Amino acid sequence: MAPKSCALCKKARAMLKRPKTGQQICRDCFFFVFETEVHNTITEAKLFSPGDRVAIGASGGKDSTVLAHVMKTLNERYNYRLELFLLSIDEGITGYRDDSLETVKRNQQQYDMPLKILSYDELYGWTMDAIVEQIGRKNNCTFCGVFRRQALDRGANMLGVDHIVTGHNADDIAETVLMNIMRGDIARLGRCTSIVTQGEDTIRRSKPFKYAYEKEIVMYAYFKKLDYFSTECIYSPDAYRGHARAFLKDLEAARPSAIIDIVHSGEAFEVREEVKATQKLQQTCQRCGYMSSNTLCKACTLLEGLERGMADAGITDRARKRLEAEGPAPENLRTIPFFRPTTTPGSAASTVEVAI
Amino acid sequence: MTCGNPNVDEQDALMPRRTIGKHANMCVKCKEPTGRVFIRHSVYCKDCFSIHVVQKCRRCLDPHINPTPSPSTSTSTNPKMKPTKTPKRTADLRASGNLVLGYSGGLGSAVLLEIIDKWYFKSISERDGGGDKGGKRHPRNLSKVWEKAYVCYVEMSGVDDTIRDTTEEIREAVSRYPMFEFVPLRLEDAFDPAWWARITGSATLPADLRIISPELDLSLPSSSSPSSSPTTNPLATLRTYLTSLPTTTALYTSLTHLTRLLLLHTARSLSASHLLLGTNLTGLSVNLIDGIAVGGGFVVREEAGEVWQPNADGKGQGRDGGEIRVVRPLRELGMKECAVWAWWEGVGVVGEESVPLKGASIGRLTKDFIIGLEKDYPSTVSAIARTCGKLAPKGSNGGKCVLCERPAQSGVQAWKDRISIREFDGIESVPHISTSTSASPLPTPSTPSPDSDPPLSLSPHLCYVCHTTLTSRSSRSTASSIAGGEGLVLPLWAREAMGRFVPAPLGDAGAAGGDETGAHRNGAGVNGDGAGVNGDGAGVNGDGAGVNGDGDEMKSHVNGDGEVLVRRKVGEDEMRERVGAFLL
Repeated sequence: MAPKSCALCKKARAMLKRPKTGQQICRDCFFFVFETEVHNTITEAKLFSPGDRVAIGASGGKDSTVLAHVMKTLNERYNYRLELFLLSIDEGITGYRDDSLETVKRNQQQYDMPLKILSYDELYGWTMDAIVEQIGRKNNCTFCGVFRRQALDRGANMLGVDHIVTGHNADDIAETVLMNIMRGDIARLGRCTSIVTQGEDTIRRSKPFKYAYEKEIVMYAYFKKLDYFSTECIYSPDAYRGHARAFLKDLEAARPSAIIDIVHSGEAFEVREEVKATQKLQQTCQRCGYMSSNTLCKACTLLEGLERGMADAGITDRARKRLEAEGPAPENLRTIPFFRPTTTPGSAASTVEVAI
Repeated sequence: MTCGNPNVDEQDALMPRRTIGKHANMCVKCKEPTGRVFIRHSVYCKDCFSIHVVQKCRRCLDPHINPTPSPSTSTSTNPKMKPTKTPKRTADLRASGNLVLGYSGGLGSAVLLEIIDKWYFKSISERDGGGDKGGKRHPRNLSKVWEKAYVCYVEMSGVDDTIRDTTEEIREAVSRYPMFEFVPLRLEDAFDPAWWARITGSATLPADLRIISPELDLSLPSSSSPSSSPTTNPLATLRTYLTSLPTTTALYTSLTHLTRLLLLHTARSLSASHLLLGTNLTGLSVNLIDGIAVGGGFVVREEAGEVWQPNADGKGQGRDGGEIRVVRPLRELGMKECAVWAWWEGVGVVGEESVPLKGASIGRLTKDFIIGLEKDYPSTVSAIARTCGKLAPKGSNGGKCVLCERPAQSGVQAWKDRISIREFDGIESVPHISTSTSASPLPTPSTPSPDSDPPLSLSPHLCYVCHTTLTSRSSRSTASSIAGGEGLVLPLWAREAMGRFVPAPLGDAGAAGGDETGAHRNGAGVNGDGAGVNGDGAGVNGDGAGVNGDGDEMKSHVNGDGEVLVRRKVGEDEMRERVGAFLL
């Protein structure tokens, strides 16, 4: 049988079947359409302005490595005039994060971007290894997720950037849509498909890979021979998310468009106005100054629980009440440094040491 | 139950029995120690459970029975179910039309039929022989909530030879309810001109429109016989339609849509104001997740309840413009509650014939997933329904989908084109392709030649779900079979709806509803049908090709109103026909 020609350029020999469209296309056309779709996502959502300082959340994994490569490529091709940085968070997971950070350091050389690494130990005084030692593997993802979000914002603030981009892909978003519906998390459901999220005092955060399939990201990294770290986190993944992920993979196998169809569904509905009115308003954490829906932010609540030996205080209401019944937090309690957002983006950059 | 490992001590191997509280047999309602069933953290005795089920069902149905005070607030473009103030007594319930109950023979519809008959109709039938005891407000002396009641059943055996026809079994089961008239339907009725003529009362059949390309272009009916329909064998047409669909998921979705629309159109012909479906909480959660997984986020609210209105040209089906409320009274009752109630009340379940589907479908996977999840996380199904109940569609409504007749979000085609590039047409430069090639768009099969009519496309008239159903392929298939053979015949309601966009024969151009025709044609640079019919429906252009004598000159120009008019060559016969319209 004669080799098929590319469905797009009609000239070169088709090398791969695109998971997103099912088309058989050549390698160069795949690179082009993948990058152009990300470019379309960026321009349609008007993510950046010329001269923006943008931090790429880099873990060393496939998503963030491909994101760094594509951002650099598009920045040069379409002259976005962005100043790009790599921002990594070291959760302190021996045998996992220390290895992946080595990859990020190589990426820093390969892409010629400044790199900032901020560790949980530096910020919270706890590593994930120490947290897991105290609480076990159950619920450890809650600590890691809450701490990482705030750490990224604080790291970006130190870099004086205007914007953080993360490697969340279409699979991640579809999975989150399903999970939020199944567990009734209406607040997160309302915002999980937004391409840009921003609190009052936090830095704009966006997902340029919102419409990119995970399989295509892997394919891109493979054909471009990118240097990435592919090991899963050694601590057990969130069990409920695992259910949603397995289900999504089954749906994708039945019909590959299912992922983008779920993302489209998530974009096509919103929380009803009368329901929105009942949701908590955003305020500032009294202890650390970070955005919060209560007087104490989630990270401070979790940290207080860890410090006072009642780690589940940030997980369940019952444990929280038990903690409150024991009296106010001692004065010498270790807390997160107060968050002071950079008023003028860029002004803090000169004061921060970054590895170049 | 043990784990089966002989090396483990039996005491250790026993699964711990789940405790259900201190008072395991204390009924939560009557507080007597006669509890017999455990439903989501509560124990009920048999009597209280029976009342509890009927109450939940009524709570979902009663607020939707009376017409809304202001019918204008309840339109198909914003079909949110706006319940009226719930009447306190059955005496205050009065529907504006008849009742149609969709019956599949399954558990949900059997339970629903029993409850509706017992609560809303039994007292009436008993009254007929019950004399004049009681006051006029006594339940025995109430007037009927619905004047007439029908049970509709859609026979699925047309899908496949292996499926047994159960119409007679269903008829027998329904015969236990004398207040309900049985209306059997067949899935192939969706393609049966005789059924369409029967329910619309119209002798004119919709135009014969077929999908002839993977891009969903439609073939236009020949002008000599615009209303002829070759679909003389509805069963064969149905099977061709179903086998041409690109995925098993598409087949599952299409069966759901065909069944729903058959019931709705039949309900309209029976002057019904309500269509009741036996979907329970578990089924509703499955449908909601399934709907979201196939891209139906915009219509997630319609899954729980909708107000359906027939197309504007509703053939005069009188009552309230044919508006029908689709209500699922069992939507707060789980599968277990329905099963226990049916068992205790002695409700017979015929059983649904399952349609054998080759390969995995999103619908089937979702059903398995949710039912499995319900065992381990029992509150999941209610969480899904509750969460989806808090959602509203986002973005502008682009009208009604011609295939599923639900609201369609506008701009979905542009969205699809933006997020997945399927051709280089329109992209300014492609770096790895030579400039000369990329400067001129690559040829595509759908580019119309100057002397041919631009194709009428179905795509702009479809919602996201239906467009994806017809176009999204599985990972194994390489080519679409949708345009194979003589093309894919559309269901009759879709042909009827698309008929408004089909250019009328030239002599009849003024009646074609030109403004819509012009607005929805998708040929570049063509306003109207490209055959000399102006977009404003005014009939033949003053300078239409063939009329001004230089019909062999095929070129377009822009008139004073900014409309682009295209000239084309016309044959001698067509020319004579058109000129004839102007001759005395």
